[in-house]
Amino acid sequence: MQTAGASSPSSPCGSSPQAFEATIARIVERTPDTRSFFLHIVGSQGSRKFSFKPGQFLSFSLPAGEQTITRAYTIASLPEDSEHLEICLNRVADGPGSAYLFSRKEADVLRFTGPWGTFVLDQPLNAEYVFIADRVGVIPFRSMIQRLLSRSEKSTARLLYAAREESDLLYRAEWQAWERQDPRFSFRPILEPHHPRRPDGYGVEKSLLPYIEQHYVQNDTRRDRQFYICGIGRPILLLRDLLRGAGYERKAVKYEKW
Amino acid sequence: MARLRVLFENGDPEQTIECDLAKAPFHHDGEPGSILDILLGHGLALEHACGGNCACTTCHVIVTEGMQQLSENEEEEDDMLDRAPGLRPTSRLGCQAVMADGDVTILIPRHTINQQV
Repeated sequence: MQTAGASSPSSPCGSSPQAFEATIARIVERTPDTRSFFLHIVGSQGSRKFSFKPGQFLSFSLPAGEQTITRAYTIASLPEDSEHLEICLNRVADGPGSAYLFSRKEADVLRFTGPWGTFVLDQPLNAEYVFIADRVGVIPFRSMIQRLLSRSEKSTARLLYAAREESDLLYRAEWQAWERQDPRFSFRPILEPHHPRRPDGYGVEKSLLPYIEQHYVQNDTRRDRQFYICGIGRPILLLRDLLRGAGYERKAVKYEKW
Repeated sequence: MARLRVLFENGDPEQTIECDLAKAPFHHDGEPGSILDILLGHGLALEHACGGNCACTTCHVIVTEGMQQLSENEEEEDDMLDRAPGLRPTSRLGCQAVMADGDVTILIPRHTINQQV
């Protein structure tokens, strides 16, 4: 296959995403359909720290029948965790990427490029940050929130996290511990109402949207918050539209939709 | 029938792909019938680090002819393109620009930029 645009990607600061080979050092079952893969970079690049910004992702080339597909997985670990890179993903019905990764075992080798992505924490402002996550959309916020609270003493961070069940809440103990340790952080799990099929976006439409409309649009005239939204599917765009339509600045409402 | 002419800013020889859009998707990545989908399905590997999900700008292309044969930009694509280097008035993301029958010509930029380290 010919590569369109043969030049390597580059950046204004001169560094480029690179190709890496890593072994799977550990696999942790987070929920029945969600796993963390801890990656250990091997070869000459393994001796250097993998540098990334909170919120960025890795791009994997994975086999899918006779084709090779590209799938992106957000880095769940913190830039300061130098030993292993963690990605956390859910098994997607009919998803060839997650099916392949869920069939991997510890010590297997994966190849990826990165870091990629511009859904990152900008230079922290002294502001109220609201992080809105639907299901696995919470993953980039783990490192973003920690970075925010460590870099900006006057910022506050609130995590609104929609999941189907309490047991589906990823990193729940961590959020709760942060909340106990740091009064600037608050964690609000929002569980979806029961639905026999629970289509994608159900939690956004039935849980997150009404909550956000009530707390950040109807009952409040402040419009100086910073929002970060992440989740799966088009319902994430409803959250964007709600907030931008209510008068929050476009650039204060950042989102990533998978 | 759709005809996609591909020019390369780096000087590679141009290519033309003819395809029946009724057979889309041609590959797993990007919107079915998108420029990315057509390229991948016909042996041309355009960068698409996010898998064709409108979460990066590595599939940035510049449309030089036939803009009217492409789906309209949505706000999500425009938000992402804001971060693309070398943005031009006819810039599109290959994963989001879905073709209709007719002729489209695109230019693949020399560089794509989508990371901040």
